[in-house]
Amino acid sequence: MEFLAIFDLPFMQRALMAGVALGLILPFLGVFVTLRRMSFFGDGIAHATLAGVAIGIIAGFSPFIAALGIGVLFGAAVFLLERKTNISSDALIGVLFTGSLALGIVLISLQHGYQPELLSFLFGSILSVSSQDLSIILVFSAVIFVILLKLVRQFTLLALDKDTAWLYKVRIELLDFIFYELVCVTIVLGVKLLGIILVSALLIIPPTIAKMLAPSFKTLIFGSVIAGEVFIVVGLMLSYLLDLPSGATIILVGAVVFLLVAASRMVLPS
Amino acid sequence: MQDRNAVQAEHLWLSFGSDEPILQDVSFSIPEGSITAIIGPNGSGKTTLLKVLLGFLSPQKGKVWVLGKTPQQARGEVAYVPQRFTFDKTFPITVLEFLQLSHPHCSKEKIAQYLGHLSIAETLPMKLGSLSGGQLQRVLIERSMLGDPKVLFLDEPSAGIDIAGAQTFYELVSHLHREHGSTVVMVSHELDVVANYADLVLCLNRKLVCQGRPEQVLTSDSLKELYGKEAALYHHRHQEG
Repeated sequence: MEFLAIFDLPFMQRALMAGVALGLILPFLGVFVTLRRMSFFGDGIAHATLAGVAIGIIAGFSPFIAALGIGVLFGAAVFLLERKTNISSDALIGVLFTGSLALGIVLISLQHGYQPELLSFLFGSILSVSSQDLSIILVFSAVIFVILLKLVRQFTLLALDKDTAWLYKVRIELLDFIFYELVCVTIVLGVKLLGIILVSALLIIPPTIAKMLAPSFKTLIFGSVIAGEVFIVVGLMLSYLLDLPSGATIILVGAVVFLLVAASRMVLPS
Repeated sequence: MQDRNAVQAEHLWLSFGSDEPILQDVSFSIPEGSITAIIGPNGSGKTTLLKVLLGFLSPQKGKVWVLGKTPQQARGEVAYVPQRFTFDKTFPITVLEFLQLSHPHCSKEKIAQYLGHLSIAETLPMKLGSLSGGQLQRVLIERSMLGDPKVLFLDEPSAGIDIAGAQTFYELVSHLHREHGSTVVMVSHELDVVANYADLVLCLNRKLVCQGRPEQVLTSDSLKELYGKEAALYHHRHQEG
């Protein structure tokens, strides 16, 4: 078990702790994101955070915190515009995320020289998780996990049957808003480790795999979380041992498992 | 409103955009404990009316009371079985989990007992997406009855079920109605069902064309006015049969 010694390294410990926390909440939320067919929403937030990263870099404060601010604003903007205009949700997300992405690119272009921080946000980096970042990730993840446990029934009912949710006095608008913001914040938390381009994959791949195997809703949630944790731990180790980008390696592990499960489902009788 | 009315609607008007109003000055009262059927041709506003009564849609003019309250206030005391329950059939949720979503405090035993009454006890551990149309409708009925609702709204609940299944389904609704004393308001295309089970019939074609007991309303003249001559012919043949 010599390879486990890599977790003696402080930066690996931080990456592992951040990864385990994210492996808990990203797939958990992903169950509802896939059920509600909101995968594009997750992708949109991730790309929109580039504007926050750029603002942070230019203004000289934490790009991570700036990205969190942009993520929260993105969620609120989509929520409000969906209700106040007759524009479809995917069109809104498309406009907002490309606009935000464009703003980020323009702002970055105003900065001269190489921007290592930018690259770490784009592709994720186990080296980039500082102690401050870790604290933010752990605190937010704990709060989000507790909220998810408290609202899991309402979120499921909302995703399956809005009319009945309304009849049973579920506060649909408030819960929708909370859900949007939870997804936004969770995605931004994952950007440090997985990167803007790949973070939403950890939202989608674990529940998609679990959905193929789970006999019930409870096992779907457990299966998603376990899959997410396995991908993170295995991906982190491989990325360190093989000197590969962490985010891409984690997602690649997930994609390979997905292909294996999908292939086995096609070959084996159900 | 009167105390003994479960549902009361007064001068309801509703239009979508600039189209002709789908509900035009619709007023009626539904007595507590009755089974009321709303009939009418396609596009006559039946489902829209049901959605207004449930509070899913707000009328531009007029008022609705359900159990003496606004539809919003009556939530929790009413239940609804939709015409078609659409969901991702690949989503792994068992019947038990599905029922406990809307009734989290209901024990597994109580749910199993209800399912037994509906002759679908074996579906409890099954995935919702694997049920047949008839089984799913029964599960939806069970979900609506688990909360002991005072008013049960059904929107063409036997759509997609074969004739025998539909017959059993309405017998079940009637049985549950007698057992629980709930008021039932259902949209139906099936005039046989209406004649057999309803106490009150509302004939809707954007306006309330007629209302009364089935034997008063299901006459050739009324049906001709509501549906056109084909329905009147159907009714005539049915009576002869």
